[in-house]
Amino acid sequence: MPSSTSIGTGYDLSNSVFSPDGRNFQVEYATKAVENGGTAIGIRCKDGVVLAVEKLIGSKLLVPGSNKRIASVDNHIGIACSGLIPDARHFTSRARTEASNWRKLYRSPIPISSMADAMGGYAQLYTLYSSVRPFGVTAIIGGMDEAGGPGLWMVEPSGVGWGYFGAATGRGRQAAKAELEKLPLPNITVEEAVKQAARIIYFAHDDNSKDKDFELEMTWVRLEKGSAEGLGEGVSAKGWGKHEEVPKELVAEAERLAKESMEGGGDEEMEE
Amino acid sequence: MNHFPEAWGRPRNDVYGVYDASHLQSSMPNQHTQSPIVTGTSVVALKFNGGVVIAADNLASYGSLARFTDIERLKQVGTHTIVGAGGDISDMQYLHEKLLDPLIIKEEYQNDGHHLRASHIYRYLSKVLYHRRSKFNPLWNTLLVAGWDDGKPFLASADLLGTTFSAPALSTGYGAQLAVPLLRRICPDEAAVENITREQAVAAVEECMKVLFYRDARSLSKYSLAIITREDVESAEGETKERVNIEWKKDIELQNQSWKFAEGIRGYGAQVV
Amino acid sequence: MFRNNYDNDSVTFSPQGRIFQVEYALEAIKQGSVAVGLVSKTHAVLVALKRNAEELGSYQKKIIGIDTHLGVALAGLAPDARVLSNFMRQQSMSSRLLYSRPVPISRVVNAIADKAQVNTQHYGRRPYGVGLLVAGVDETGPHLWEFQPSGMVLEYKGAAIGARSQSARTYLERAFEEFVDSSREELVLHGLKALRDSLAQDKELTVANTTVSVVGIGENFKLYDGDEVGEWLEKLGNVQSSRGGRTGEEAAESMDTSE
Repeated sequence: MPSSTSIGTGYDLSNSVFSPDGRNFQVEYATKAVENGGTAIGIRCKDGVVLAVEKLIGSKLLVPGSNKRIASVDNHIGIACSGLIPDARHFTSRARTEASNWRKLYRSPIPISSMADAMGGYAQLYTLYSSVRPFGVTAIIGGMDEAGGPGLWMVEPSGVGWGYFGAATGRGRQAAKAELEKLPLPNITVEEAVKQAARIIYFAHDDNSKDKDFELEMTWVRLEKGSAEGLGEGVSAKGWGKHEEVPKELVAEAERLAKESMEGGGDEEMEE
Repeated sequence: MNHFPEAWGRPRNDVYGVYDASHLQSSMPNQHTQSPIVTGTSVVALKFNGGVVIAADNLASYGSLARFTDIERLKQVGTHTIVGAGGDISDMQYLHEKLLDPLIIKEEYQNDGHHLRASHIYRYLSKVLYHRRSKFNPLWNTLLVAGWDDGKPFLASADLLGTTFSAPALSTGYGAQLAVPLLRRICPDEAAVENITREQAVAAVEECMKVLFYRDARSLSKYSLAIITREDVESAEGETKERVNIEWKKDIELQNQSWKFAEGIRGYGAQVV
Repeated sequence: MFRNNYDNDSVTFSPQGRIFQVEYALEAIKQGSVAVGLVSKTHAVLVALKRNAEELGSYQKKIIGIDTHLGVALAGLAPDARVLSNFMRQQSMSSRLLYSRPVPISRVVNAIADKAQVNTQHYGRRPYGVGLLVAGVDETGPHLWEFQPSGMVLEYKGAAIGARSQSARTYLERAFEEFVDSSREELVLHGLKALRDSLAQDKELTVANTTVSVVGIGENFKLYDGDEVGEWLEKLGNVQSSRGGRTGEEAAESMDTSE
């Protein structure tokens, strides 16, 4: 919860205002909106990136599989968001503009780090003025490029952005982070990461929103199958993969394994 | 010697009078492209029972000079469509790089099951071409759009004037004069498409490419050919879905050329009689 | 007295990360009369309850046609709905002009969602005060979307917005497995039953206050008003309201008096 130093001081009523101890409370409150959202994670692998979200289902009248939460912003980049969904749509729409402008200017796809920079800058703009509010969104940006290979970044409402091997945000982030830290990242393949991501989302869900229904949504960016073979420790494939949904059969299999491991109890062994 | 550098190399005012700069004032109308510069020649296409075949050679001419011999003038746009371009090559590249590529990226990242098919892309290109000619700044191309659309083969043309036209056998440029009559022998109208096999269609188009190379001085013996067909595939959920196949044949060299006929040509060139 | 300092505009987060102005805008929807939407494998149907301000006044418009393949039902501020529906018509026309393609339902819905989101992030603007149910058919089949002033849009098999709409939702949740496979006529009746469930105790569906629209695969969007809905209401009259209360005969009688 916000510290008692924020409420009632008047320094938390407007964006772009510092409190005497140098904090911007409106940005912190925006982060609160993120912490209530469904869990989103990203895993950086040898040969690509996997994104996964826990899509909370508020009504059984919702069309299953519709209302997607992970967006493509170019052929090779995906963004998974947690927080206010309409804000996330605005955010990804800006990312698409950035990707398109980059292509127009340089005739090549935007590198992942440049996209993270651009979006960090955009989020930061919304902390500068009292006429706007910050984004109620933390975005996990994942993709592959020629320069750095697989890239995974997380941009927060403040505009700050870090590169990650494993990133988690939303309601179940603590549980998810703890699980991610157990993985030998980034030295796993996307096939392995798909299974782990499913398990982690199920685990985080069980930990935080057990009473709610959810759908697992997963995408990946990777080079052709088997491109990780022969890559040494800490070496990653490079190139322009395609951001797309993980094939249904693979998701179903990963979910089956995830459910199995949940039934196995709290401290189950990780596969492989 | 005049010590002002801006005067060096210019006619001296004291000798020739003050330079009349009035023509530099732009009271003239804006001028846009008046002619193409680097050009591609014919694109040839024919429908058959179950698909479309389209071909274009790999030459980009600079006037009568065969300037570039590795230019691809057929390009896949989205999953269902091939666009073939004759006319100005840089305009073609603009069309693809600045308009069509971003359009397809935007279409695909929606991930909502909708895709731009041949008729949609054709409509878009027609609008762009007509819009540009209405600004007196045309994109100097004739385009053939071939693809699979709404359960049928699709083939149509659009040109720099914004003229749109559809037929089961089409060609741009010189081919419109030479190839279309040949193609119409086997495909006089839409009804005839049903009786044309894929092999017949490919053979007819290959024959056209040969005739064009014989007769069109801006053509090349190396060309690309694409065949668009469809098939039913079963998805993981057990429903049958239509999938469009695009089969490419690149760097085809014209085979079995015979220039015998050239000896009989009279009326121009070096011969006296 | 406690005063909420965080609800004056839509650019201020509360300490819990809420935006009260947006939440208040959602309340505006509940001021409007109820609208229900539902889809089967072949059709999408909107039904709504029209209110009239006074006895001699006309009934309000609840369903707006956008194009031959889609339309919207509204609850809340009607002028806001007009702005949004005009925008949707523009999107629809530009899709037909540029690509000769009827605009995909999800895209036109996302377009108004993006418009609405901007109003929740900039000072000096207010969120839209209207909820919409967007029903339409495109290449991927029939669709129903709910639009909210927050910029949230969700695709549903059945949805209801407006005053007392929870009862309609309860009906839909109970019936959706049935109406997914139902015929066009059955789908309309399911819609009307859901609508009837959310009426106030002393109200009933009449040809004057009921409005229906249907769009289907191979069937253009059409709005049915007045006597055109009479036949459906007659069929409905024979069915016991799932909340009990009126019997079929009573409902039929009340219809007579209303004309």
